[in-house]
Amino acid sequence: MTGRSMNDKCLQKLVQERDMLGMMVETFTKTSTGIDLHYVPTKAFVDHHNEIIRRYISGEPFITSYFCCAPEIYTAMDLPWNTFLTPAFTGAITPTFHDEIDASGKMFTGMDLCTIIRLAGYYVEEDLVPPPTAVIAMIHPCDGINVVHQVMAKNEKWNKIPVFGADPPYWEDERSYEYYADELKKMVEFLQKHTGLPLDTSRLREVIKESNKQITLWQEWNDLRRAVPCPHGGGMGLEMFGEATTVHTGMPVGTAWMKDVIADAESLVRQGKGAVPKERIRLFWFDILSLGLTLELFPWLEQEWGAVVAMEMFGYSPYTQIDTSTEDSMFRGLAVRALHEVPMIRQARGVADLFLTDIERIVKDWKIDCVVYPGYMGHKDGSGSAGLMREKCRELGVPFLYIGMDLFDDRYTTLDELKDKFSKFFTSMGMG
Amino acid sequence: MKTRVKSKALEAFVEAAETIVNPQLKKWIEQGGKVMGYFCCYAPEEVITAAGMVPFRVRATGSTSTELADAYLTNINCSFCRHAFNMGLRGDYDFLEAVVWLNNCDHIRRIYDNWRRKVGTPLAHMMSLPKLTTDKQVGWWREELAILKEALEKHLGITITNEKLRRAIKTHNETRRLLRQLYELRRKDNPPITGADTLAVVIASTAMPREQFNKMLAELLDELKGAEVTKDYKYRLMLVSSILDDPKYVKVIEDLGGLVVTDSMCFGSRMFWADVDEKAKDPLDALARYYIQVKPACPRMFGGFLQRSKFVMDMVKEFKVDGIIGLRMVFCDLWAGELFMQEKDLQTASIPVLHMDREYLMAGTIGQARTRVQAFMESIGGER
Ligand code: SF4
Ligand code: SF4
Repeated sequence: MTGRSMNDKCLQKLVQERDMLGMMVETFTKTSTGIDLHYVPTKAFVDHHNEIIRRYISGEPFITSYFCCAPEIYTAMDLPWNTFLTPAFTGAITPTFHDEIDASGKMFTGMDLCTIIRLAGYYVEEDLVPPPTAVIAMIHPCDGINVVHQVMAKNEKWNKIPVFGADPPYWEDERSYEYYADELKKMVEFLQKHTGLPLDTSRLREVIKESNKQITLWQEWNDLRRAVPCPHGGGMGLEMFGEATTVHTGMPVGTAWMKDVIADAESLVRQGKGAVPKERIRLFWFDILSLGLTLELFPWLEQEWGAVVAMEMFGYSPYTQIDTSTEDSMFRGLAVRALHEVPMIRQARGVADLFLTDIERIVKDWKIDCVVYPGYMGHKDGSGSAGLMREKCRELGVPFLYIGMDLFDDRYTTLDELKDKFSKFFTSMGMG
Repeated sequence: MKTRVKSKALEAFVEAAETIVNPQLKKWIEQGGKVMGYFCCYAPEEVITAAGMVPFRVRATGSTSTELADAYLTNINCSFCRHAFNMGLRGDYDFLEAVVWLNNCDHIRRIYDNWRRKVGTPLAHMMSLPKLTTDKQVGWWREELAILKEALEKHLGITITNEKLRRAIKTHNETRRLLRQLYELRRKDNPPITGADTLAVVIASTAMPREQFNKMLAELLDELKGAEVTKDYKYRLMLVSSILDDPKYVKVIEDLGGLVVTDSMCFGSRMFWADVDEKAKDPLDALARYYIQVKPACPRMFGGFLQRSKFVMDMVKEFKVDGIIGLRMVFCDLWAGELFMQEKDLQTASIPVLHMDREYLMAGTIGQARTRVQAFMESIGGER
């Protein structure tokens, strides 16, 4: 008996989020091709939350971790992981969200600390996150995440929970990959020790093989998005990312869903149908996406301007296949993935060059008409690269929009202000 | 009334803190000497010295605007970085032969990306500083030091021998030892030097040819012996902060009646509270260990909060501190977390603490700071 129950305060947010997502699942309808595109990924989150709740109550192991910390390993260990950052992403459907943001701002010295990080710190301090068996800390790509894990480790309720953070090198070269592969091996030792769950190499191989398939499918799907009109808009990119790197990493159920999505996209391309009925502008949204954006801003862009998000930071899939021949090759591959390929970490962790090369590649391959860098207030490193991005776009002859917004707090730059900015931008560029 | 002992050395240090190219550095450059810039106190000054250059910590002293930098950075970037980069773009740092960066924070690391493309410094070098502090990271950092050493050798056409490195370590340890002696004097009830002047000395230690600086600081220490210039202050304060390179900011606090007697700052004690091992067989090993494991850590190092907190608590005891002022540069995430955690510990230990945000240029936030410091000191109560 753990003495834990459904009524524990730390489960409140998770239950709230689960119920919101559960309600959404009920409302999904099938597309014209007969596929329910959103059901699988959203339902997966509901199931995931239920599993974390169950494990918390029963005392079975689960961890806190992230999409960029080699989730293939967790799948292979049958170890569910919870990211305490998700409430910020689904905040748009949470009634208490603004109050929580304000309270988190009072807690830290100011409101300029990344909203996701601030909220995450606040949830931990307010006992609104179920304490896991162990924490895999993410200490890159930004200062904020490094900070929040330190705050977490100091919290009275969390300071006895074992923490492991893999040390991230700044470079993308063999030396760095080798170094980081060794860090990942250390992470496995840590997890085995603290969760009591073994990692079987052949199971890891199976998972990585499946994950390789998912990467191939993701890329195939992205290839279809090059079509004009673009069959699927920005929201789908996030879901594809979610399947491949969070809820169904290396799991056949995710692979099957991806095949369905591809079938849907293929059919739309064949019919010449786009996500936006009269596609006029193809956007590259170069940052994270929140539910608020996909529910409010993107539909407006589509309706008002015929603008489709043809590519987004989290939908982009510059992955390589992991060589599964030996244990070392698998860890090396996972290191490359974690340092160099997963979205956001890829661009934000090291030197700014990948911001620029990604823009170049995506603008050309996805026939992008304009690059939008939202200038999320949490992404200080990205904003520090904004001028270079603008120059790159100028060189490519493609308009660049820097907004300066909070992707989560819609009071920072309101929806109306965003609409106004976009309208002025499109008009001044003679688009739409 | 706080005054200053009559000292040529101190005057020179104050001048060095108020300028970028101080007379001593100017002379060095005129004689053909080279200067290498760096941005954070984790940068291995010793390797730069061993390469025959003067290590110079980049500041934005005297900057008044960021108009050129604004084309590249944005208003959510730390104002120190914006001003420093602006000075780079203006050509104020054209006297640098090379600059080294580390991935110390999200703002500074992007200065590297912009600087290497936009400012014509002959050599712009980036180093990958670990975030953990185990022996594995010492090994990694040693490799990074060796890469820097090689880059400098290639760029300057020289050989940096172990002997040169050892000599450089000695010189920099001497700087550290002398700076610690200066801090020792501040433990007294009536220290012979104010916090503002001490900051000027520390800044000068990052801007002058080091051997010359060491000589001058030794002179100053002699001159300070027996002096008592800070009698009528009300409280003994400690500053905890990232970059603070403006003695005038400290003077504002001291003019309100608080004497700054110590700090945990990266233009301060964290630069020199420990020494590099001079006896180690391999000087690069010694340097790697110093920067990763020995030097008082900054919040960007993961998992070291307890140690950092202890460092502050020890200072409070040793320097009989009445209250702590924690300063954070607006938009600095690292220090937002640090000050939050620290406040908890200080409150538990019943140590009065005031946390304030600041901008690099004093004009922006000083009015409010004055009011808050005044109120803070009143809240400490029980004047000495
Ligand atoms: S606060 Fe830390 S990271 Fe920033 S400059 Fe100072 S020592 Fe370097
Ligand atoms: S004050 Fe903070 S954000 Fe600014 S340079 Fe230093 S560590 Fe970076």
